[in-house]
Amino acid sequence: MPQPLKVLLVDDEIVRAAMVEEALASEGHAVVCRLANPTSLNDMVARHQPDVVIIDMESPDRDTLDSMALLHRENPRPVVFFADQHDSDALQSAVKAGVSAYVVDGLVPSRVKSVMDVAIARFESFQSMRLELDRARNQLADRKRIERAKGLLMKHQSCDEEQAYRMLRKLAMDRGQRIGEVAGNVIDILEQLSPGQQEKGK
Amino acid sequence: MSDTNLSTMATAAPIIPIPELSSLSLGFIPLLDAALLVVAREGGFFMAEGVDVSLSRENAWSTLRDKVAAGMLDGAHMLAPMPLAMSLGLARAPCETLAPVVLSRHGNTLVLSERYAEGMPSPGQTSPTDNAHRLRQYLDQRRQTGARVPARLAMVYPWSCQHLLLRQWLTLGDIDPQSGVELVALPPPRMVDALREGQIDGFCVGEPWGSLAQHRGLGRIVARGADLMPGHPEKVLGVTASWARRYPATLAALIRALRAAANWLNCEVDAPQRTLEWLALPPYLDHSIQHLDQQTLSSDIADLRLGDALRPNLPDFTTLAGQMQDLLGQQGRQIDSPTVEQCYSAVHFDAATHQ
Repeated sequence: MPQPLKVLLVDDEIVRAAMVEEALASEGHAVVCRLANPTSLNDMVARHQPDVVIIDMESPDRDTLDSMALLHRENPRPVVFFADQHDSDALQSAVKAGVSAYVVDGLVPSRVKSVMDVAIARFESFQSMRLELDRARNQLADRKRIERAKGLLMKHQSCDEEQAYRMLRKLAMDRGQRIGEVAGNVIDILEQLSPGQQEKGK
Repeated sequence: MSDTNLSTMATAAPIIPIPELSSLSLGFIPLLDAALLVVAREGGFFMAEGVDVSLSRENAWSTLRDKVAAGMLDGAHMLAPMPLAMSLGLARAPCETLAPVVLSRHGNTLVLSERYAEGMPSPGQTSPTDNAHRLRQYLDQRRQTGARVPARLAMVYPWSCQHLLLRQWLTLGDIDPQSGVELVALPPPRMVDALREGQIDGFCVGEPWGSLAQHRGLGRIVARGADLMPGHPEKVLGVTASWARRYPATLAALIRALRAAANWLNCEVDAPQRTLEWLALPPYLDHSIQHLDQQTLSSDIADLRLGDALRPNLPDFTTLAGQMQDLLGQQGRQIDSPTVEQCYSAVHFDAATHQ
């Protein structure tokens, strides 16, 4: 088994940081996490002397690391990962996933690569998890809106639930909109027509 | 008028090619000198050139740089030295980058915490050298009383005018930027908080952050970039060379729109006020400028009335490259002049604006 690395992880996204930490720890690496911590990053790096710093690309702390790479002469000196490499595919996939990394000068690239691959994979799966969650939330909100619109239509048009749903579906097809969107419009219009209903609805 | 004349006139009229991209995205860092981009968008100058530009607020210069290099942004509001640093591959894989338009000149302030700035007159009443000497005296006193921790001063990014200005100012006071102080980088919106929390003792940054620190009584402006490097280019529009080759008509449209925005700033009396109102919108500077003295801010905005100064002029950038060379020399790197000339060439500006 290769020598474990000391990794400093800078990420404000608690769930994602936990995912990355767990994955790296399971490969034997020692991980120090820095969440939304007021300690300055300079002090963190000086104290923990990590071999690798993995940082969320959206973190405002990135410029601090970039400048340490240039200004600090002491060892271990962090340098930007990929700085000397012309591997644009690897760089591209890291940027797309939102991962950036800084490593100690002189560390064998292949060893860092495996750490990067793990981080990129976790960042990507977190991203798709979040998309999935957003989609589920939207679906739930849509369903609630449809129920509410059906209720209003039934009252307003004196029809049954089945007919109300068919009305919504027809509107959606005619306008080329999602049924959830149409339901939202129907609610807006019908509630304006009879404001009293709104109070009762709540 | 004869038919021949008409047809000659028709061929003589400038043919403006349609931009290849109808919509695109440019990155910016929340600073007053992002104003020209904001004016070009909010004032409809980009639209008038047939491009729908969205402005994307970024958290760090390095992230903005990486997104431009990776094609996730079409271009960005960049620190003047950044396109050269990108082309040379300083701090990341080399990526040929151009600066076809200057977006601002000077506009930086040097701020020290109240404790450090004690006894320092404001920049209008003294020379930058005097205040730098006062800092030197203060640092000497501190050392004599046994203070172990050096003063920690922040700039925004290693390849920035703020870093170069800070080094220049320290050198004026016979303070070695390498050993006399500790230099760190922080993104502009974090400066004021870091000063309040005592993480740093001073900084050099673009407005409004220096004025804001002073307004809140956390620090004082002790020197201005304009006095240290008069007229230096501060921000540029940065695009990769490959982007410029793929979308020449789009680039020309951006250049013309920015020039029109600058003309509007030059000519309209209420332009500074309107610009401040746009800048105060949420995606841009948000609430940060709300409490600042409108008078000062308006004059800062008026400083952005660049006129002809939008055109990249090589001598200014050669000076900048020379200062970067001083920094790089310590690492045994050499900046070559063909790269400087290509980065800061006015050829795109002239092609877009010389009818």
